[in-house]
Amino acid sequence: MKKTTHSCFLLIILLIRMVPSLTSTVNYTDPTLEPVVTENSVIRQKIIDSQFKCYERMNRAPPYRKKGLFCNRTWDGWLCWDDTPAGRITAQNCPDYFPDFDPTERASKYCDETGNWFRHPESNRTWSNYTLCNSFTSEKLKMAFILYYMAIVGHALSITSLLISLAIFFYFKSLSCQRITLHKNLFFSYVLNSMFTIAHLIAVVPNPGLVKRDPVSCKVLQFFHQYMLGCNYFWMLCEGIYLHTLIVVAVFAEEQRLHWYYLLGWGFPLVPASIHAVARAKYFNDNCWMSVDTHLLYIVHGPVMAALLVNFFFLLNIVRVLVTKLRDTHRAESNMYMKAVRATLILVPLLGIQFVIIPWRPENRLAGEIYDYIMHILMHYQGLLVATIFCFFNGEVQGALKRQWTQYKTQWGQRRREHCSTRSTSYTATSITEVPVYLYHHDSNNEQLNGKYIDDSELVALKSGETSA
Amino acid sequence: VATACHEADYGQLMRDYCLSQFQASMEALGPRLWCDWEETLGTYGELTNCTALLAERLACFWPNRLVDEFFVAVHRRYFGGCPLSGRALRDPPAAVLCPFIALPVVGALLAAALVVWRSKRGEGIV
Repeated sequence: MKKTTHSCFLLIILLIRMVPSLTSTVNYTDPTLEPVVTENSVIRQKIIDSQFKCYERMNRAPPYRKKGLFCNRTWDGWLCWDDTPAGRITAQNCPDYFPDFDPTERASKYCDETGNWFRHPESNRTWSNYTLCNSFTSEKLKMAFILYYMAIVGHALSITSLLISLAIFFYFKSLSCQRITLHKNLFFSYVLNSMFTIAHLIAVVPNPGLVKRDPVSCKVLQFFHQYMLGCNYFWMLCEGIYLHTLIVVAVFAEEQRLHWYYLLGWGFPLVPASIHAVARAKYFNDNCWMSVDTHLLYIVHGPVMAALLVNFFFLLNIVRVLVTKLRDTHRAESNMYMKAVRATLILVPLLGIQFVIIPWRPENRLAGEIYDYIMHILMHYQGLLVATIFCFFNGEVQGALKRQWTQYKTQWGQRRREHCSTRSTSYTATSITEVPVYLYHHDSNNEQLNGKYIDDSELVALKSGETSA
Repeated sequence: VATACHEADYGQLMRDYCLSQFQASMEALGPRLWCDWEETLGTYGELTNCTALLAERLACFWPNRLVDEFFVAVHRRYFGGCPLSGRALRDPPAAVLCPFIALPVVGALLAAALVVWRSKRGEGIV
């Protein structure tokens, strides 16, 4: 079993093994002491299957060619061991037959200098070291549960914050512009992604019976899961491309056709998801497509990483343009654009970093645990992060909310004092001085804002921060 | 009670007793089905059990070198002509895997380039 690159899913797979039979911890350190006929026929089936594959391999593999003493290839009752040079310890991943065996731990076997496999000193039988396989199981189980619940909480929080943000964006028509439209689509894709992930975590992962039955529905769920993952990252790319076109290519132009963005964000991710489904069904058709031990996953993750890279380069280019070219000519605007770009510039590396550091899980136990926690937070709290950075920390949104709040307070005060005439002064100017208006400009058809119509001249007045009382 | 394991006896008994039963079952199954794992699973399991129980009776450890040699011979005789693939889940060969991965990556880059190009030429360019 190759070392997997997705430790989050590793722990979830660990969970699959652990959850059904928490009560029966087995003390199997020496397989040959137990009779082959165990009570559990499923386990026995797995072992016989492995045995068959082992002898097949032993039969077909070419004989040992190198010089020197070596230990003959052998089946030790649980795992297959190849020809090993004398004096060497060989290791491989623990098997997954028993609930308390961790397939990410290593089992080892020592070939001594005389070319014989190590014999246990007490029993004088050929012995492989499986002690690491079930030694840390209870702590790992606890941590796997913590991470599992953390993932569910993360996605639930993400869904909540994203729905609140979407509500804010839809309610405050003054905020709506093309960039916010892109935000809305991005948030929507995150909501769907979180929903599918929660469905997967709750319905499939703790349910080995379902995994064993392997219905088509759980593969369809995986398909949509991969599709939504692609959508997330391709909508981030759309945001980057939009900003790039706005700032670098067609400087300060306002209207772009969004059709192509919709196509890239919702349409294109179908391609890698479908190719992955076809390849998985044909070449690696495991139960519920849950295994992460396959390079076929790169069919989806490859384009995602490409999108992140492209996005990163676009954003760097934007920063370069803002810093160099606009600095002299449009200093004020470039600062404001910087603030707008800042949010995206923070998010893209943050979202991408999980793909970069995922292969390098530290070997040390404590460092590995910290790594797992950080990766889980990065992966499962993304929706919350995106909603916070793009919506809650947005000055325009905060201004709109403050305005609405003051309006409610005054209206409530009015209702108490029963004043009718002060209604027209309840509208106060927005504080849009941070960002140029045309980044958040109103739609071309005039929008009603608290009962007042706004035309372009007032926009300019608003920009300078004056109130229109 | 540590009576040493008589390896010669063990080997002989395996061939006389366990192997003969296995041979009978496999002949009854027919050579056409020898490569069908579902069909041969039960018989193979019984063979394994037989060798293990025999080892227990003769106070030998199981499995051991003789068992390895025995099974390798069985595999050579009965399963040598079977295709290895199909039972183990493994990735397709690199020649198949690389196009599968390269295609969506190139597609993604092309799609991004397309959107950049179209938005450049879109309406509203000052």
